[in-house]
Amino acid sequence: MQISYNILKDFIKIPKSISPQEISDKLTNHTVEVEGFMNQAEKFSGVVVGKVLSVIKHPKADRLNLAEVDIKKEKLRIVCGAPNLEVGQLVPVATIGTVLPGDFEIKESEIRGEKSQGMICAEDELGLSEGHEGIMVLDKKAKVGQDFATYLKTDDIIFEVDNKSLSNRPDLLNHYGIARELSAIFELELETYDKFISTPELPESGEKIEVKVEDKELCPRYLALKIENIKIKESPAWLKERLIAIGQKPINNIVDISNYVMFEIGQPLHAFDAEKVNKINVRLADKNEKLETLDDKDRELKESDLVIADGKKILAIAGIIGGKDSAVNDKTTAIVLEAANFKDTSIRKTAQNLNIRTEASIRFEKALDAKLPELALKRFVNILLGIIPEAKISGPITEINNYKEEIKAVEFSFAWLEKKIGQKIDKDKALKQLSALGFSIKELDGEILEVTIPSWRATKDVKLKEDILEEVLRLYGYNNIESKLPDETLSLPVVNELRLFERKLKDFFALKHSLFEVYNYSFVGEEQLNKLEIDYSQHLKLANPLSENHSLLRQSLVPNLALNIKNNQFKVASLGFFEIANTFFNYPSTLIKDKTSDDVLPYQETKLGIALAGDDKDLFLKAKAIVGSLFDFISRGVLLEFLPAEIHPAWVKKDEFVSVVVAEELVGFVSILKKEVANKFGIKKNSVFIELSLKDLFTLYQTYGKNIFQEPSKYPAVERDLAFVVDEEIMYNDIKREISYFSDLIKSVELFDVYSGDKLEAGKKSLAFHLSYLSTEKTLTAIEVDALQVELMNHLAEKFLAKLRDF
Amino acid sequence: MKDKLYKLKQEFLVKLSEVKDLENLKELELRFLSRKGELGELMKNIKDLSGDLRKEVGQVANKIKNELQESFYQVSAKFIKNTNNTLIDPTLPGLKQQSGHLNPITLVQNELEDLFSSLGFIIEDGPELESDYFNFTALNVPPLHPARDMQDTFYVDLKNSQGERDLLMRTQTSPVQIRAMLKYGAPLKVVIPGRVFRNEATDARHEHTFYQLEGMIVAKDINFSNLKSLLEIVGKRLFGPDTKLRMRPKFYPFVEPGNNGEYTCFLCQGQGCRVCKNTGWLEIVGAGLVHPDVLRAGGLDPEVYSGLAFGFGLTRLAMLKYNINDARLFSSGDIKFLEQF
Repeated sequence: MQISYNILKDFIKIPKSISPQEISDKLTNHTVEVEGFMNQAEKFSGVVVGKVLSVIKHPKADRLNLAEVDIKKEKLRIVCGAPNLEVGQLVPVATIGTVLPGDFEIKESEIRGEKSQGMICAEDELGLSEGHEGIMVLDKKAKVGQDFATYLKTDDIIFEVDNKSLSNRPDLLNHYGIARELSAIFELELETYDKFISTPELPESGEKIEVKVEDKELCPRYLALKIENIKIKESPAWLKERLIAIGQKPINNIVDISNYVMFEIGQPLHAFDAEKVNKINVRLADKNEKLETLDDKDRELKESDLVIADGKKILAIAGIIGGKDSAVNDKTTAIVLEAANFKDTSIRKTAQNLNIRTEASIRFEKALDAKLPELALKRFVNILLGIIPEAKISGPITEINNYKEEIKAVEFSFAWLEKKIGQKIDKDKALKQLSALGFSIKELDGEILEVTIPSWRATKDVKLKEDILEEVLRLYGYNNIESKLPDETLSLPVVNELRLFERKLKDFFALKHSLFEVYNYSFVGEEQLNKLEIDYSQHLKLANPLSENHSLLRQSLVPNLALNIKNNQFKVASLGFFEIANTFFNYPSTLIKDKTSDDVLPYQETKLGIALAGDDKDLFLKAKAIVGSLFDFISRGVLLEFLPAEIHPAWVKKDEFVSVVVAEELVGFVSILKKEVANKFGIKKNSVFIELSLKDLFTLYQTYGKNIFQEPSKYPAVERDLAFVVDEEIMYNDIKREISYFSDLIKSVELFDVYSGDKLEAGKKSLAFHLSYLSTEKTLTAIEVDALQVELMNHLAEKFLAKLRDF
Repeated sequence: MKDKLYKLKQEFLVKLSEVKDLENLKELELRFLSRKGELGELMKNIKDLSGDLRKEVGQVANKIKNELQESFYQVSAKFIKNTNNTLIDPTLPGLKQQSGHLNPITLVQNELEDLFSSLGFIIEDGPELESDYFNFTALNVPPLHPARDMQDTFYVDLKNSQGERDLLMRTQTSPVQIRAMLKYGAPLKVVIPGRVFRNEATDARHEHTFYQLEGMIVAKDINFSNLKSLLEIVGKRLFGPDTKLRMRPKFYPFVEPGNNGEYTCFLCQGQGCRVCKNTGWLEIVGAGLVHPDVLRAGGLDPEVYSGLAFGFGLTRLAMLKYNINDARLFSSGDIKFLEQF
């Protein structure tokens, strides 16, 4: 929003000692962010008045013209595409080096082979309005070579206020509101607005517009006034200049006055051509009702949209935009002026459905003060009579009031306020500033203050004593508060062990196993899962995804890790990624959904995912080595097994998928991505995935991760190798279990060779183990160990039909 | 015996002075100094001597052995230096070893977690798939508030018994404020790092998935002066001891009063640069005193307790710290990006 210094000065006397910079800084520090300010003259620096001497067609472009333009100092050749360019026009010319709004710098350029030495500007390019119907044509007063700013007679300073920082302050979307803030900040006197609405008494009788408000909740207040004997003309210079200064395009006297009043006090007004309006009915739209609006668009309305209608047809979309048919036009001689208050949420919803934002809608959707319509209407009449003295007010104001004026007040002690701030502050000054903002203060018994909230702050913004605290604090200045850390007594800090564990794991994988940590999206897409042959019928869906690729909530980290491989596979020979992140499931968790019901959130689980890819064949073993190393890290000495699984995803081959089982608990899987699936997905490399449950890992870590030192046995270990032949189907893991549990004296069982081939019968394999025998009580003799190993071999022969391998 | 040793020494030194090439030198080493060389053989006999004599000769022998070896090394060093073909280039690189990499978000998050842990804060997690209640209602964002729009929030396509969609991807880490108050009560010092979601089209400056860290202190006498002081400390720890804080009003529904905080731009030390848009300040933090409705939602009486809250964009901090110009890189999985951290 653009705020004009000249308009502000109508309401507040700002001494010369206060510079625009100071105004800008103080507003930013105490009220709203001012993005910058600009002297109007500076804004147009480099733009001069030029006269079009000749126009010829561009030899190589149909839509472009070559203009010769006199700017007194020299004659420029300018390529111009505007349809309204004519010889003899006086036009604003941006010369080389000019920087137009939007940081658009004019440079000497060549357009389709023709040199262009500047730009003839349209109004939007100068930041004067949104209009881009063609170049701006200046009136006769313009002198060739004159600075454009001088032509505009602009001596104003414009402050650019960040609209986003006004989201909760409907009272600030206008000049009077900003002036009120300045009066509080600088302790200056604010003119009362009454001074600007003095009009001759409005007639007590006469023609009165019939108004009916059907939906009382959506339209708390509606005021209408008929004014006759009007001639639609251009606005006087002062009004046009002021509108141009704040970026508004002048249209005609009636529209300009209503806009001006809106920017002055914040209340949108709408003028209908009285000939098109016999009465007014504020109602909800019927199904399929349509309206051609002022911007020449056909708008289809919903039954929840509030409209202004007469007996037959819709005249306007309430609080948003008027209809074209009932709009003021050159032939209008009488108007019906609307000053109303509409429900914020209704306006916002309709504007959003119709995808329009207007100066009116952005004000109404922030909840305006229901007292404003009267002020705005009177101000309109006040300005109108100054411009068109012969205008005649047809009768009294029609007024429908569906709101109750509530006086809202809060009570607190000044001591409470100082306690919340954390220091003493000057009470007199604080209360004076509050008063300047329109709060009225009564001191009750026992140091209690009763603060009444002004109507323009009471719509939404200020309700509680904490809100008043903010007013006092911001006016005092956040930067003027002393810093003081909380007084605390020491207490035992709560440590989030899971979080520390997660960090340990991240370091472990990145530093020890040279993996890259990825942060993949929580979302996956149907096509992606189709290619991976993953059933997504039980996946949670987004109701409003941004794209098809991100429409489902992931249940596994694998699909996005697969994308990581695909996207990087040609950059290096081998890849290794890990991710610790959430997955989401369509069944209940134990997390509460609210405080009142028994409802719970869907189950969510943090998983650890690892992906390896490369051209090497032993990737599966490498992955298992990482898993081995992981459990050696978090639960050393606990039994880790890779077990075949009956149930497995469709993207794997049965014998290339193993469950990871630690201390007899299933914690995840290791698996090769099936070649056919990889091909379909676009992965050319061999790839292996590991997925483990973080919660399960953490439980293991808490149970077994203590790392208690065990004194090494005083007696020497006896090493023996054992090689034997078994059927191929017999799994290593079963044999290993059998050996490990055979005797307490067997301290370690390590496979060092697997062989199948020529030297063995078909369907057989040979396994070779290093065994380590150790007693904590005595030195084992060779005879004892050999005897034990014979017993072991006999046991294996019985259990697995194992035969000792003879080399 | 001793004479023999001295003679050997004499002979060795003469021969050593006559050495011409490396081969000569090796022959000499073999003949005199190796285990089975002349010196070695002589020394083997020492053990047959008796008592004091053995001790005396032993000492002499060792002394001579050391002298000979010293002289030998001096000469051989000269020869090796003169022989180019055996020189090893000491500047050759080591064997290539792959290294792994942590995501820059992790690095920045760890840094902040360490900072707040050291100040006694609990680090708390919460669900990324949240309810409407915790993400909005409990944080003083009423129904129909613009923040709840479908265009800002990802809703999950599940309806409750009233036929409403009341599950969403959390748009902020703030719902964990409420969950933490319900879990721990007061006094409470907590920070919440985590992933958040906004339903907005992505470009270099916008991502639908990004990371925040927010914190709160709730106790009996928390005031604005405490908030300011805490934010100053955080700024100094993050950006250096000369960092200054500047605050101004800003509206957030879950705090009252609300403010934002700018720190001296650490890239230009406040001189003004491209990143801080020549202001010398970087807008980094949003903060305020916890709104009484939020305390109530957390099960605490606002007449007894008060709180302060603040939040950082981890994504933004990481972008600033590492001069990353595209917010989408963090989730890209691009190894050319990741390998730089």
